[in-house]
Amino acid sequence: MAARIRLPLLLPRSFPPLRSLKHVHTEAVKEPQYPPIVASLTAKSKSARLRQNEERIKLISSSPVEEKLSLITRIQRMKFVVYPQTFSRNPDRWYQHFTKTAYIPGLPEKFNPTTEGSQLATDQPAVPEIDDAAFSEIRDLVTRVILHEHWHKMRKRQPFLYKHQEQVVGPFLKTLVSELTYNLAKYNPLLRLSSLDFSPQVNFYWRRGKRIIPKGHRRGRQEPIRFQIDDHPHSQIRIPQQLPQFAPLEASYTAEVPEIHLAPNVMPLFRRQYDNNIFTGAKLPDPACYGHTQFHLVPDRYHRDRLARQQHSDQVEPFLRANAAASLFAWTGAQAMYQGFWDYQDVSRPFVSQAVITDGHFFSFFCYQLNTLALSVETDANNPRKNLLWGTESLRLYEGVQDGAVVGLDDCVLRLLVQFLMNRPHS
Amino acid sequence: EIKNIVYPLYQLGNPQLRIFRPSWFLTLVRPGKEQPPDTVQFRIPMDMTKYDVKNYLEKIYNVPVGVVRTRIQFGSNKKRNHLNQRVKKPDYKVAYVQLAQSQTFTFPDIFPEKDRTLKEGSMEEMQEKFMEDEKQRQKSDPRRGGVTEWFGL
Repeated sequence: MAARIRLPLLLPRSFPPLRSLKHVHTEAVKEPQYPPIVASLTAKSKSARLRQNEERIKLISSSPVEEKLSLITRIQRMKFVVYPQTFSRNPDRWYQHFTKTAYIPGLPEKFNPTTEGSQLATDQPAVPEIDDAAFSEIRDLVTRVILHEHWHKMRKRQPFLYKHQEQVVGPFLKTLVSELTYNLAKYNPLLRLSSLDFSPQVNFYWRRGKRIIPKGHRRGRQEPIRFQIDDHPHSQIRIPQQLPQFAPLEASYTAEVPEIHLAPNVMPLFRRQYDNNIFTGAKLPDPACYGHTQFHLVPDRYHRDRLARQQHSDQVEPFLRANAAASLFAWTGAQAMYQGFWDYQDVSRPFVSQAVITDGHFFSFFCYQLNTLALSVETDANNPRKNLLWGTESLRLYEGVQDGAVVGLDDCVLRLLVQFLMNRPHS
Repeated sequence: EIKNIVYPLYQLGNPQLRIFRPSWFLTLVRPGKEQPPDTVQFRIPMDMTKYDVKNYLEKIYNVPVGVVRTRIQFGSNKKRNHLNQRVKKPDYKVAYVQLAQSQTFTFPDIFPEKDRTLKEGSMEEMQEKFMEDEKQRQKSDPRRGGVTEWFGL
């Protein structure tokens, strides 16, 4: 190499000192610092699209909750509107697939009186029982409410066609709920800090599954399937503390969720484009941001007498299950999103809520545990968690009202109702 | 039996409308898009309604019907014939019937694949063999690796 160097015409007297050569070796060892090589952001390529999605996910994950919600629900596109009370046949399987919920018949061990002795030892203490004197007080209260609505109240004319539920059973349920909450507040201090809403709005927006767009300028590309629930329960109780979980997260790994590989519009389910809402019933700064119990009223259209006239009696239970699954998933999902969890930041603790669905005579009790919010295709690939729904069949509360007295008031149903309202986090 | 009869509007107190030997005929079709297992797809006459379909299937064929949904498919008027006149494909009504009592129905395979084994010693077998031999002779030598006969001796 030395012979090939072109020496300058006039050689300097003394060559420049070789001091700099001492550090050449050490400088060569330090690696040069180049900026990280990542895909472009603005190119018209698949990797650019992936990088844009990653940047969006990073931006959403690092923003405060209000901004998070507005960024997730910003873009409006065609989505399936899921009605919790639906006329479709066998909607419970479909709704379980959309919300990744496994149905477990019966209620969790907490509410079963027979296994109380064994449960006290485990980490899930049974719901504190109220003594017989208090229970008879509650029973008298309930009989009073039933008699007030169905016997003492003067009705000038019978409710018109298909208005019976909203004009008779609606007010009955309203008085029942408010009286029971007020009375049980002395045994359950949590109810004193709770907030009871009447006909609140509960909205939730999520994405699940993918489809290939068949026609249009975006033909052939993958699109996530979007869903929106806009629910109007009859009433709900919101509390400032979270209810304890019914089952550990790991227990949901073995649960079975029905898989349906057909498009949702076959159900039938219809698509619309409007505001994407996520709402628990109160705005974000409200301290009572966790849910306790929801009360749903079965409208006249889905009343079991009408379904029996049309020979669809076997659709009563699936309707109730679908109603519970959709409403409670929306409520718990909205509660979780209010705490900052979303698709890519899955819930760290299960969110729990309860619901009672009634048509005046028959009461069904449901408990829901939200274990996962990650329902879109990318996040669901390795997600073993499933959401759980426990539920009972419809149980008759009372037979009827005769001569100013309630006939056939069922104590078990009352006890379940009281247990539901007494549920509180064990401190 | 009945053709082009216009029934008077039903008013409260009128007797129940009964149709004997209706002249409506349903056609069971294979669904174009995937349907759930309890759904059966029919092509029905344009005059029929959902309730007509339900009663028809329940009373005449004893099929437990849950719910019926109908739609009218527009037949295209776009194609043109050799005189440049538009040719209309007829419209038809489609009914999606969901069966009750958790019954399921899959459209059967009407044209199954037949086994093409030919009888020994028949004319067809000899002809098949002959055609196969001819095809083999026409193919070039596989050892040449796709190179044409132009390159070579």
